[in-house]
Amino acid sequence: MAIKRGGKYVLLGIFALLSVLLGVGVGSVSLSPAQIITALAGGGEESVRSLVLSFRLPRVALAFLTGAALSVGGCVMQSALNNPLASPFGLGVSAGAGLGATAVMISGVTGALGAFLLPAAGFAGGLLTVLLALALARVFDSRLSGVTVVLTGMVISLFFSAIMDLASAMNPEYAQRIGLWQMGSFSARGWRGPAVLGPVLLVCLGFFMLRARELDILTFGDEQAQAMGVDPRRIKRSLIAVVAVLTGSAVAFSGIIGFIDLVAPHVARRIFGAGHGRSIPAGAVLGGSFMVLCDLASRTIASPREIPVGAVTALLGAPFFLYVFFRGRGR
Amino acid sequence: MLVTDNISCGYGGEMVVRDVSFSVPEGGRLVILGPNGCGKTTLLRALMGILPHSGSVSVDGQGTERLSARERGRLMALMPQMGEISFTYTVMETVLMGRYVHMERNLFASHSARDIQAAEEQLHALGLWDERDRPITKLSGGQLQRVLLARTFAQEPKVILLDEPTNHLDLRYQTELVEELRRWTSMPGRAAVGVFHDLDLALAFADTVLLMDGGRSVYFGPAEGLDLKKLSRVFGMDVPGYMRASRERWERLEEGNGNI
Repeated sequence: MAIKRGGKYVLLGIFALLSVLLGVGVGSVSLSPAQIITALAGGGEESVRSLVLSFRLPRVALAFLTGAALSVGGCVMQSALNNPLASPFGLGVSAGAGLGATAVMISGVTGALGAFLLPAAGFAGGLLTVLLALALARVFDSRLSGVTVVLTGMVISLFFSAIMDLASAMNPEYAQRIGLWQMGSFSARGWRGPAVLGPVLLVCLGFFMLRARELDILTFGDEQAQAMGVDPRRIKRSLIAVVAVLTGSAVAFSGIIGFIDLVAPHVARRIFGAGHGRSIPAGAVLGGSFMVLCDLASRTIASPREIPVGAVTALLGAPFFLYVFFRGRGR
Repeated sequence: MLVTDNISCGYGGEMVVRDVSFSVPEGGRLVILGPNGCGKTTLLRALMGILPHSGSVSVDGQGTERLSARERGRLMALMPQMGEISFTYTVMETVLMGRYVHMERNLFASHSARDIQAAEEQLHALGLWDERDRPITKLSGGQLQRVLLARTFAQEPKVILLDEPTNHLDLRYQTELVEELRRWTSMPGRAAVGVFHDLDLALAFADTVLLMDGGRSVYFGPAEGLDLKKLSRVFGMDVPGYMRASRERWERLEEGNGNI
């Protein structure tokens, strides 16, 4: 590694700043960094200010927070389950959230929650599914070993996805809306999403940082964790529950956007080292910035059409992942 | 130092270890011998609290049943058989994880000077100093084994439990590791329990033997008092005959080489 650790953080900061400036600046009306900063400071033309503060910035903020949340959730899941292929979506967060949202769309209920109903249903569906997967995994394996949890999550995910597809097929008038929600988007307007997701992310991030050492140790598996003084059973349950809350909140506002939760943690570890004290916050910034760029691509590549951001994350993420992960290996 | 009384444990409903009792005094080195599947590893796992067990375990007169994993980790450490490693920690980071049980709990928990010193001492002692910044995924099996041993030593427990620690090591490192373990155990307030497959190494390491068969203890006592007939019966083969044949092979080699 030619670049010193301090330099890497500076580069990460520049990357984040650039992606946010690009995310806010590029679109049907292009804005220069100077215009953006003036608008943020409360100056400049009214129309520019409104574009930045009411449309572009909240969208970028939601994308950044979602990317960060998914990255952090993925990182914790992989470490807690001692499995580099584990991810919150693999454990049923996405399938459960999708089922919850589908139920709301099809039933047509609108309640006291109003605009929050769909996100709330998605969140509840995601959380309940993970808890169900955990409870089921405990029946088979009280020690909650990584493989059992991953397999149980996978089976429940597939099962719930099938129910969702079935519901969608039987209600063709909602199929398109369900399909779009499943593919994820940051087009929800306003500050509602960031205002909820921001604080949730901060609290969860604090929770995981307090357990960074335990997470390091858990990557060696349950047996070695116990030998090093960490009771894997107790801590895993709380870690997975908090991951479900975090990623469920992210999915609630933007739908299901795959790949970041699996890939961003690996890239962060590769660049900043495996230690969670560094790889969790660095992964959050990396995942957030990457998501902003993916969202930018999703709304500009085929403009004025928007392509689903989930497709972009996979299209850009897969080659990038292969490059970072396998660089310097094999021949 | 380590006293166990009537340990029984198993997986699910199946009992693998039955009513095993033994004790190891300060400075003692116990080896657990027995054929595959006789419950050696299971017994170590129970002692470490990884498996629930009946019967009692105490270290320095302190019962371990009610201790938290952290408190137990200050009394005992287990060097497990090596599993798959998929996360790229450096050698230094890995050895420092042994210090977890001694760390203060706070946000951004950082290592104290004492933690760093303890880890560095072990890196030097086990010849890993030059590898300290390498990722553990790039180490040879033997190097990784020594890293795990360094981590176990850095944990500074009173009793160390070793599950086939010489696996993956070549002859030189095997004998060096046994020397390291003897050195470690000779310091005050320490004891070691090991599972070894190689009977030769086992006897080089241990002063006391626990022989297990079908989950039960069939001999517990000084290594010199081990009944070779019983040993042969437990392993289902002529152990002294095997040792003699081995010795003769080496003698022939020596003769062929002009006694070296």
